[in-house]
Amino acid sequence: MTNSESYVYNQNRIGLNENENAKSSCPCITGIDELDQKLGGGLPSGNTVLLVGSSGSGKTTLSMQFLTNGAKIGERGVFFTITEPLFKLTKNLEKFDFYDKKMIESGMVNLIDLRIISERLGLDAEKYTVEDASALLEILKDIADELDVKRLIIDSITALCYRLQTKEMIRDFIFKLGSSLASMNCTTILTSEVPPNEVKYSQYGIEEFIADGIIFLGDVDRKGDLIRTLQVIKMRGTNHSRTKSAMSISSKNGIELTPLLKSRV
Amino acid sequence: MSNTLIDGLKERVSQAITINTSVGVILPSSNYSDMMQALFEYMSSRNDHFWVYLAISKPYENIVKQFEYASQMTNIRFIDCVSRAAGITNKDPNCIYIESPSYLEKIIIEIMNIFKEVGDQLQKTLIIDSLTSLSIYNDNALVTEFFTHLINRTRLKDIHTFSLAIEEEMDDYINKIMYLRSNKIIKLRESFI
Repeated sequence: MTNSESYVYNQNRIGLNENENAKSSCPCITGIDELDQKLGGGLPSGNTVLLVGSSGSGKTTLSMQFLTNGAKIGERGVFFTITEPLFKLTKNLEKFDFYDKKMIESGMVNLIDLRIISERLGLDAEKYTVEDASALLEILKDIADELDVKRLIIDSITALCYRLQTKEMIRDFIFKLGSSLASMNCTTILTSEVPPNEVKYSQYGIEEFIADGIIFLGDVDRKGDLIRTLQVIKMRGTNHSRTKSAMSISSKNGIELTPLLKSRV
Repeated sequence: MSNTLIDGLKERVSQAITINTSVGVILPSSNYSDMMQALFEYMSSRNDHFWVYLAISKPYENIVKQFEYASQMTNIRFIDCVSRAAGITNKDPNCIYIESPSYLEKIIIEIMNIFKEVGDQLQKTLIIDSLTSLSIYNDNALVTEFFTHLINRTRLKDIHTFSLAIEEEMDDYINKIMYLRSNKIIKLRESFI
């Protein structure tokens, strides 16, 4: 079988038409040039990526920049927050040049507070049962489908799982979330909170198993000053760099990367 | 101050910057202010250049106090690496303040960002004042790596560099990297001056 025959065979086998397949093969550009270069063009479309970091590492900023840059090229996005109220989120975003209020007004970027949805569903804001979590997952999927989003953020998966009572419930929820996300036609970032200075990718040790990719945001200490770093740990579907970059966050350019100097840090 | 001395220095700066992409200047501390004066007079006379001045030896505010016209020049931007670390909180739109001189990667990002916005009709030149001051705040190996990265990236973008080093503060590391990475070394001697 030739390569082209093999391609046709696989395409037919998985039931994709030509347009869909072409679309999914285009990387989902983050709009952060150096990150796109590291990723060989961008995040593979349709991937679920775990964006890991401790408090203040830049998870929310990177996620929002990803969404707004998507909106600029006509890709609608949704940001589900469970960690901070929307007014606080937008207040922080206003400092960045990449943020444009019009994107929210036009519906290209949608910010949704999952706690408000929980309230409306009559769920206990602090504790979820398996049924509550499933209901929330359904709502989340319905919103994404209705808005026809191409980019989806959940900030954070850790805070969401925190509301579940047992490890079994968390495991069950994460696997359900994984299969839900896999069925959606969008690229997803799940932010994951970890304690500072620890090399672990998730709080519960399960989140990474539903992720196609892991991006780790950390710090290196240089004579008492903390340098932000970014490293792509894994990314299915693309040849990516695994080198550690220094990361800068500025109001003018948002996230920027440059190779980390390695001598005696 | 002797005009002949400053004019002589300006002449050497002019010749070196025009011909070479990477110039290293090793000078005794007693002639640092002469070199500064020659450099700023030369920069202000060249409208066909765009300059980025990396201030590590002294804060931006001190520089513009000494050379007031520098704050009015439209073809120069400053990056101040020492004010914030020294607790100076002044702001100036013509200057980018780096929190700490140990944020070497941030310095590279800011340098390249400024030059990215400069048109190709202008000759782009980076002044590093100075490598020896940078080594006060960073390990020598790190300064070496920083300088190597910077020279590689600036050369790729056709940006010339003019790096100062104070002779009394130099050690083998800085000496070696200056000679290895510069196309031209200007060594000022008090006897010459």
